[in-house]
Amino acid sequence: MEHGPAATSLSPPTERIDLPVPTLLPLGDRALLIRFSTELSDHANRATIAFARQLEADSPEGIAEIAPGLVSVLLRLADGADFARLRGELMLRIGQTVDAAPGVEHDVAVRFDGADLDEVAGLAGLHPREFIARHNRRPLRVLATGFAPGFVYCGFHAADLMLPRRESVRPMVPAGTVLFAAGQTAISATPIRTGWHVIGQTTFQNFDLEATPPTRLSPGDLVRFTEAA
Amino acid sequence: MSAIAITRAGPLTTLQDAGRFGHLADGISASGPMDQRAFHEAGALLARVASTGIEFTSAGLAFTTEGPLRVGCAGGQFRVSVNGNPREWPARLGLNESDVVEIRPGPAGNYGYLRFNLDCDIPTVLGSRSTNLAVGLGGWKGRALRAGDRLTFGAEAAATEAAPPPPPPDGPIRILWGLHADLFDAAARSAFARSGFVVSPSLDRMGVRLLDPAGVFRTQRRLNLVSDAIVPGDIQILGDGTPAVLMRDHQPTGGYPRIATIVSADLDRFAQLRPGTEVRFQPVSLEHAR
Repeated sequence: MEHGPAATSLSPPTERIDLPVPTLLPLGDRALLIRFSTELSDHANRATIAFARQLEADSPEGIAEIAPGLVSVLLRLADGADFARLRGELMLRIGQTVDAAPGVEHDVAVRFDGADLDEVAGLAGLHPREFIARHNRRPLRVLATGFAPGFVYCGFHAADLMLPRRESVRPMVPAGTVLFAAGQTAISATPIRTGWHVIGQTTFQNFDLEATPPTRLSPGDLVRFTEAA
Repeated sequence: MSAIAITRAGPLTTLQDAGRFGHLADGISASGPMDQRAFHEAGALLARVASTGIEFTSAGLAFTTEGPLRVGCAGGQFRVSVNGNPREWPARLGLNESDVVEIRPGPAGNYGYLRFNLDCDIPTVLGSRSTNLAVGLGGWKGRALRAGDRLTFGAEAAATEAAPPPPPPDGPIRILWGLHADLFDAAARSAFARSGFVVSPSLDRMGVRLLDPAGVFRTQRRLNLVSDAIVPGDIQILGDGTPAVLMRDHQPTGGYPRIATIVSADLDRFAQLRPGTEVRFQPVSLEHAR
């Protein structure tokens, strides 16, 4: 199911979003998934973030946790929540237009010296310097968190920077690794295994157990990538 | 002050409380006991019970006490002795200075629990003392307990726990059709519900891989899916056709197709199935599962 074309441009900070009609799916007997699409698109991601924010601001009874993903929102249900009633409440909020508040802006300085940088630039038909300039040309939106502690997906790059993932998964890359694939840039905040291209490293740390909340970047925030001095 | 000095610990012996809820968006799953029912059964053996206990694995556990301590023990079928004297399992132990507690493997179960009447001196991390081994966070320095570790206790806990309802009867593990059930054709879904699987030796707090002797998913084509949220009990089919059940330390999101989710009432029972055990899955309705 595709809801409109996968636009790649970043809209002005404040916008009104027409929520596409999502599918409500039970995920086991303790959670509901509100899925706006089965494919990643700019529109489905914006709708996901806007809907999650709307729910956070005004939660129907029976929701213990709201966790937005790339194209769907997970609702973990409170003990004893009435599944059918909650479903009804959610249906009432679907198909509306919501105001998406502007995201918080963050600067992330990157040392573009990753092992795959030259290869990635080459595949895009660019000199590495040119690739870096293109990569940093405009801010990216935090599309989703949640894959690993503090991990963020940011997107979308222009269509000509679309590259698939690597064939093989790398063993552990350290926290602060800047990753590139699928028209997105991702930042690890803990050591992870990855099939994405490693293009650089940042000292920006998005996971701090001493902080409340432990992560700084939220879905919908804007990330301005710069080249570290 | 009371303490226990651990003299022997199987792999994956961890501190757990009810779980670290509310941090999925930060990339942290809730962890918590693999067998929640048994965790509460052990807690209900004590008049006063602290929120944090020890989860040990099929190899068992041994420790020596310093000072008085009351311990509730439950989960699986283990053999327990105090100073060499065998006790019934589950057990309620009133321990004193220099008592030696030995827990040895029994005929069934992967996980057993110790609950205490005293609060242990372990800092909370994001509101919980549960160990998340996948991330290396919480509990005892983010790692499994091992011989030589000494767990100290403070004041007596104020909380009480009610005995959990009796366990569901043995029999097939009940499932709800999963997020991607529609991506499997009717023949595959029917074969999944009809066939026997076997718990493989590859199991930990993150997940349990299953053997698929009937080859239900042998020819499963590789799917390229957008990542979605994972919940405990999700049964995903890996790229090579291996079914794997995601457990308490699951990664919060994933992109493998998920055919089904084990109902929450049966996930404890599933967690206790030892490698080599045959397991069958029975689809039920959401109304039945709740």
